[in-house]
Amino acid sequence: MSARQSGGAIRVLMRRALNEITRVPGAAIPGVLAPSIFFLGLTSVFGSLTLLPGFDTQSYQSFLIPVSLMQGAAFTGAATGVNLARDIEQGWFDRLLASPAPRPVLLAGLVLSASFRALIPATFLLIVAFAIGAEWPGFGGLALALLIVMGMAIVAATWGTSLAMRFKSQSAAPLMQAGMFLAVLLTTAYAPLELLQGWLQEIARINPVTQVIEAARQGFIGEDVTWAGTWPGLLALAGLAVLFTWMALRAMRRMTA
Amino acid sequence: MAAIETKQLAREFEGGIKAVDGVDLDVAGGEIYGFLGPNGAGKTTTVRMLTTLLAPTGGSATVAGFDVAAEPGEVRRKIGVALQEAALDPLMTGRELIHLQATLHGLPRERGDELGDALLGRVGLTQAADRRVGTYSGGMRRRLDLAAALVHEPSVLFLDEPTTGLDPVSRQAIWEEVEKLNAEGTTVFLTTQYLEEADQLADRVGIISAGRIVAEGTPAALKSEVGKPHLELSLVDQHGREADCERVLARFGKPLPAKDGKLLVELEHGTSEVGPIVVALDEAGLAVESLDLVQPSLDDVFVAKTGEHLEGAEEAPADEAIAG
Repeated sequence: MSARQSGGAIRVLMRRALNEITRVPGAAIPGVLAPSIFFLGLTSVFGSLTLLPGFDTQSYQSFLIPVSLMQGAAFTGAATGVNLARDIEQGWFDRLLASPAPRPVLLAGLVLSASFRALIPATFLLIVAFAIGAEWPGFGGLALALLIVMGMAIVAATWGTSLAMRFKSQSAAPLMQAGMFLAVLLTTAYAPLELLQGWLQEIARINPVTQVIEAARQGFIGEDVTWAGTWPGLLALAGLAVLFTWMALRAMRRMTA
Repeated sequence: MAAIETKQLAREFEGGIKAVDGVDLDVAGGEIYGFLGPNGAGKTTTVRMLTTLLAPTGGSATVAGFDVAAEPGEVRRKIGVALQEAALDPLMTGRELIHLQATLHGLPRERGDELGDALLGRVGLTQAADRRVGTYSGGMRRRLDLAAALVHEPSVLFLDEPTTGLDPVSRQAIWEEVEKLNAEGTTVFLTTQYLEEADQLADRVGIISAGRIVAEGTPAALKSEVGKPHLELSLVDQHGREADCERVLARFGKPLPAKDGKLLVELEHGTSEVGPIVVALDEAGLAVESLDLVQPSLDDVFVAKTGEHLEGAEEAPADEAIAG
């Protein structure tokens, strides 16, 4: 298959994956609302955390925006895994596997759709955040955050689809969601590294998603967006995406083994 | 060149379940081959191996000249696949599905659109092409699935239970389409649990039971193997006259045990004896009330080879769960 043919196949698969939100009234609403609801709830309850010694940021809203963005991206990506599990159960995926399209093309169609889908909850969240007074992160900070949202959605989608192909059942959905939930939670999501206790601090230190959140956070907490603050996050995303893509392609090969 | 050739093809699942256990097939180009068996016999597992969706654990198989294990990509280019439980997305329109299928096969957009329009017309879905599949009837879905399988002009077409659950009219429409395709040169490998379907469509039939082929041949040859036609008749005022009647019938063939109050006789020399039997009964003063000529069916073949009836056969849950 030529690059052009592959591109065409990826496009039709992406379009099909997006039908889910464009053609089922209301289907997108929970995924869009959830990150914003968490955001509003957490900032209301823990807004005063910034008063703690060692918490450099002035606004907890600004501190938390990138975390909610990552949550939205992770949920969207994991949902791609759940949808694939349904497609496997119902036999739709056999149609794709029986076609001569290269296996990475089949995966790319699924995963790339998630990266675009993830921009929907992100946009909604940003509107809510700015409406209640979050600080403007600058164009650079915003563009970087949205790029990272798309990358995080790809990571979550490759994770979710690899599990879908491994278990071939929607009953693997909790694993897809919980895996991503923990990956985002066990980081500097809710407080700076210095303020985290014992085991959580250790896990957050080695969890690559910490780097991802810190990179996305730069503009929101009033810092300049720097390459030094950015590349560890991008590297972490790339590393996770490569690892889970490898897992997903291996699982896809095993499906027909 | 054989369109499909397997040698000792086998698939064992975890736990040692042998869903397919040494199947030899030799399907010629241009043939319609009917693969007949109850649920769980290994039909679907065999089709999944031949369509590269499942790797064999033993033996070998070539489809359109390519090895399914070593050259799956080549096989996929040559085959059209319409699997059981037509896997269609209810949110897509018929036209979108055909377009997706054409794109997955690498067809240029214009060519795909052109072929897609022709195929949708061919299966009678032009009017419904821009409606969502969710609104289609069962028969429309199968016809769409068939059209989607044909978009790249495959040389071998696999149809896994193409008419299961369809009403007679929809079933007839699918059969006519399959016959037309075959007349145009497409080899068809069809699995079914309907005797009538195999009888009507297949040039040759293979009967699979518990993962093995237990009989193979043309429907006519298989039926003549298991028995001769027989007559079932009842008389006006039959009571007390059975013995007289049986004496007359015995001159024409072996009497069979009576069934549902009807007298049965096997016709030694075929159907040409029906006339003489009626005349002989009349001469003996026995008035015939009803008379049925019964040909051996593929079900008789199935019973003879496997000891069980085909339709309404119990599912074998272990195999079916894995073969999915």
